[in-house]
Amino acid sequence: MRISLKWLSDYVQLPGSVDELAGRLTMAGLEIEGIERPGEALDGVVVAQIVASDKHPNADKLSVTKIDRGTGAPLQVVCGAKNYRVGDKVPLATVGTRLPNGVEIKQAALRGVDSSGMLCSAKELGLSEESSGLLILEPTARVGQPIARALGLDDVVFTVNVTPNRADALSHLGIAREVATLFNVPLKKPAVTLTESGTEAKSKIDVRIEDAERCWRYAARVIEGVTVKPSPQWMQDRLKAAGMRGINNLVDITNYVLLEYGQPLHAFDLDRIAGASIVVRRAKGGERLTTLDGKARELHADDLLICDASAPLVLAGVMGGASSEVTEKTTRVLLECAAFQPTTVRRSSKRHGLHTESSHRFERGTDLQVVPEVIDRAAALIVELGGGTVLAGRVDVFPTPKAPRQVMLRTKKVADVLGVTVPASDCQRILASLGFRKLSGDDVQATFEVPSVRVDVSIEEDLIEEIARVRGFDAIPEALPRGLSELESERPSHRVERLVRAALAGQGVDEVVNYSFVSPAELAAFEAGADAIAVENPLSVEQSVMRTTLFPSLVQNVIRAARHQAEGVRFYEWARTYRPDTSGGQGTVPVAKETLEVAGVVWGLRHGARTWTAKDAEGDYFDVKAIVGAVLRALHLEGATYEAFEAPWYHPRSATLLRKGAVVLGTLGELHPKVARRLDAPAGVVLFQLDVEKLQEAAVLVPQAKPLSKFPVVRRDLAVVVAAEMQSDAVRKVILEVGQPLVEDAQVFDVYAGHQVGFGRKNLAFGLRYRSPERTLTDAEVTEAHTKIVAEVTRRLGGELRT
Amino acid sequence: MHDRLKALAEAARAEIGAAQTPQQLEALKGRFLGKKGELSAVLGAMGTLAPEERKAVGEVANAVKGELEGLLGRAQARLEEAALEEALKGPKLDVTLPGRAVFFGRRHPVSQTLEDIVRVFSRLGFDVYSGPEIELDWYNFEALNVPADHPARDMQDTFYVEAGWLPKGVGPVVLRTHTSPVQIRTMLAHKPPLRGVMPGRVYRKDSDQTHTPMFHQVEGLLVDEAVTFAELKGTLAAFARAFFGASTKTRFRPSFFPFTEPSAEVDVSCVFCGGKGCRVCKHTGWLEVLGSGMVHPNVFAHAGYDASKVTGFAFGMGVERLAMLRYGIDDLRTMFENDARFLAQF
Repeated sequence: MRISLKWLSDYVQLPGSVDELAGRLTMAGLEIEGIERPGEALDGVVVAQIVASDKHPNADKLSVTKIDRGTGAPLQVVCGAKNYRVGDKVPLATVGTRLPNGVEIKQAALRGVDSSGMLCSAKELGLSEESSGLLILEPTARVGQPIARALGLDDVVFTVNVTPNRADALSHLGIAREVATLFNVPLKKPAVTLTESGTEAKSKIDVRIEDAERCWRYAARVIEGVTVKPSPQWMQDRLKAAGMRGINNLVDITNYVLLEYGQPLHAFDLDRIAGASIVVRRAKGGERLTTLDGKARELHADDLLICDASAPLVLAGVMGGASSEVTEKTTRVLLECAAFQPTTVRRSSKRHGLHTESSHRFERGTDLQVVPEVIDRAAALIVELGGGTVLAGRVDVFPTPKAPRQVMLRTKKVADVLGVTVPASDCQRILASLGFRKLSGDDVQATFEVPSVRVDVSIEEDLIEEIARVRGFDAIPEALPRGLSELESERPSHRVERLVRAALAGQGVDEVVNYSFVSPAELAAFEAGADAIAVENPLSVEQSVMRTTLFPSLVQNVIRAARHQAEGVRFYEWARTYRPDTSGGQGTVPVAKETLEVAGVVWGLRHGARTWTAKDAEGDYFDVKAIVGAVLRALHLEGATYEAFEAPWYHPRSATLLRKGAVVLGTLGELHPKVARRLDAPAGVVLFQLDVEKLQEAAVLVPQAKPLSKFPVVRRDLAVVVAAEMQSDAVRKVILEVGQPLVEDAQVFDVYAGHQVGFGRKNLAFGLRYRSPERTLTDAEVTEAHTKIVAEVTRRLGGELRT
Repeated sequence: MHDRLKALAEAARAEIGAAQTPQQLEALKGRFLGKKGELSAVLGAMGTLAPEERKAVGEVANAVKGELEGLLGRAQARLEEAALEEALKGPKLDVTLPGRAVFFGRRHPVSQTLEDIVRVFSRLGFDVYSGPEIELDWYNFEALNVPADHPARDMQDTFYVEAGWLPKGVGPVVLRTHTSPVQIRTMLAHKPPLRGVMPGRVYRKDSDQTHTPMFHQVEGLLVDEAVTFAELKGTLAAFARAFFGASTKTRFRPSFFPFTEPSAEVDVSCVFCGGKGCRVCKHTGWLEVLGSGMVHPNVFAHAGYDASKVTGFAFGMGVERLAMLRYGIDDLRTMFENDARFLAQF
């Protein structure tokens, strides 16, 4: 609901800071979802008076005015409007102001005449959609006053998210009550002074409740001699701030008091009520009612109605009827203030698809005890703003007055629920400030009377909640339940391990676990292990040195597989390698440098056996590269590069270093034939090895979503013949660089070396995807980009286009 | 005879030494050592010699044979080595060509997020429970202290199910609007103490940029003797640190849920600006991420727990909301469009 702070300040002294007020209310359970400052956009616009006006010497449609803005000498302002007279008060946008429509006011000369500011229309101030000419202000407007103030826009409006339980907070007084409690300041309720005439109201109207289960209370007052007219500006401003529209003084007063107290009211034209009687009853078969929104509605036997002697007048608690509504001719008013069973109102509201300010409050529950005060307040306002006299007495039918609820509170229970001890005196002080009256009891336990406005409070936990929210949840410590201990969140290293292992499993790579110690000869075969750490008392020489690389073990795994007639295997191992550390062993520093690695091997038939779909396909370097690529993808690790290097255990033609920037992530390549020969390993072994810590450093564990283009892809292929030793990536780089921003991707889909392209040459075919995030690409622009790419590839790389 | 052998050995040494290919070696082997080779020819003529002379020539012939065999073997190795060296100097692979095309599947961001949420609570000692999605109104609302015709029902727009197969009087049936009914089912099936999270799909009749008719929640429930609001705060603060990062702050705001009392909305310090205020947190520095509270005594009553003996707390969070914050996804609906380009990003 919308709360005007100007209005709110009638009832309670507000703190100086709007943000502080919003913050406290939010933290007490009344969440401030929005803060509007409608006058803010009008800073720099002031009330000014036109003291003189002359024709513009050079332009027929313009005038040159002299303007008094309260200070200094009159300003000269050129103006195009005609709808004013000298002496009128109008809005002046001073130099430097930025208007809501974005126009910035500058010192300027218009057709040769200096103009220091601008006189504004309502449209220019963003106050209306259309306007003809200047906004002429009330003669009472004070010259020099900010326009927002003069127009009643110098307000701050909160949008409060009132939860369904807090029916008491659906009003300005309700919020004021909360503010009074939170800031420990007094609440000033509106003073109601009512002068009644000698005639008794009950002589003019009879009220009968036929369904006391659904209608809990019905009070009425009669006011005679009323003049229906627009309500004063201040009231309309407040209604507007709260999101309602001014209609006439009678309707506006019922709405105003609704927004003030949270209690719905209804005003009838008493002369349109048949038989001078009100009957509250359920609908009869076939009854119809035309509601204020102009719709004729079939009524349901479950609908509760306010009727006169002959017909339904109002769908109780939801919406009034057209037949009895007040009009400009109305002089005798019947004012209704009632209380209904919430579920009845809700069912009617749902049934008829009518959610109104009234039904919203009734279905949440209203304050039965406040009815007399509210009806008197409204009656007094009617007399104040519409004249007339209030007849004596309220006709107040209240079949079964309910005794106030009583709830017991045990001080220990407060601590048991909240986990913090709150002294009984604090509990009692907080409850008292919210209107809970202590009836009996002591510091151990006490019984409280629930204020009638707090329809949501009925059990001890409700009181505890009140205490907790007024103290603030921040005042409750954090503790872990017994038996729980906070574990650190999953470490990035664990996450990396989980993702990498899942990726490897997904690529069909089996995990092996080998001993950490190997034979010196095996390491020597790899020309590694000169610095390997030896075990002093090994079980055997085969298990006598700590691995400096995982490869010897993986190659042994392959040898064993081959010996047992396996036709192909894919293995990985997740383990450490060990090297001496000359600075190790000091204090807690580990004695050796232990590096966590993931390494793997591919050998033999790709699928482990011949299959009818892929006959005799041997795993090779590009299988290992695919596995490494899957690991990188699992870690969202983009932009890694593959480049040739040398290592004694890799075949020189395929030894590859994997880097991300300057960081070496790992290596891959075919096993060097000499190493294979030394170990008596089968041919076709391909290996990779990755440094887990480096992977973790480069990994992106939480990728950020990228927007998707809504526009179609245009595909083009590009085939180019280049030197056989040229790397495809060099070509791809040129394509992407020259093709940006239109080329989304370029993938090699064919490599051919043979007599058709000539010795020492090869053909590379790329599939290019052109796409723009902003538009559908035309054939012409794709062709143009493609031509440019072809030209650059051939120029820079000495390639030739293949046709 | 001796001379013939000597000449043979000399010729063989020269020719084997000059051999350039394995084929040449093979031919030389046949020529000198084969059954019809030169050595055999020499030996075949030995029958004409005197016995004592035959013995001497035989020894020489064997020596020549041994020598030639050794020469051939070494030459074989030499040629193989040369071939290997040649191969090692051969053209390089284009290691920048893409790896062999493979399938690489990923899990949906919602599924990943849900797993992470559950993992955090598993580490805190919570079991995982589940319950039906097509649910009786009683479990979804009544047992959770939301009676019929109560305004709290407006908080969740409900899909109803035509459950014509059920006997009369059983129902109404809804698509569960939250995972909270699993609280009731779990309590009815297990005696306290109880510690569990209940993930799953939920349904609400709503569809716009920030609402989809189906989404996921993770419910949590802890019931024991003397469970406090302080422990609710501690547990959810621990979750927030584990899920959003160790420096995450939490803020508990009084709110309303019919099934808890007191109730709290939980805000975390904005993951994008660190609490300084930005567009995502609407310049408040806080993001609302979950609802929570102390289990309402009426809920315990419906679940057959004695509210005078146990207390507990419950909480619920929207998985999509957390996934959006985590991955920087700004339109909820993309989650269920399942665009392949979207799915490939996580």
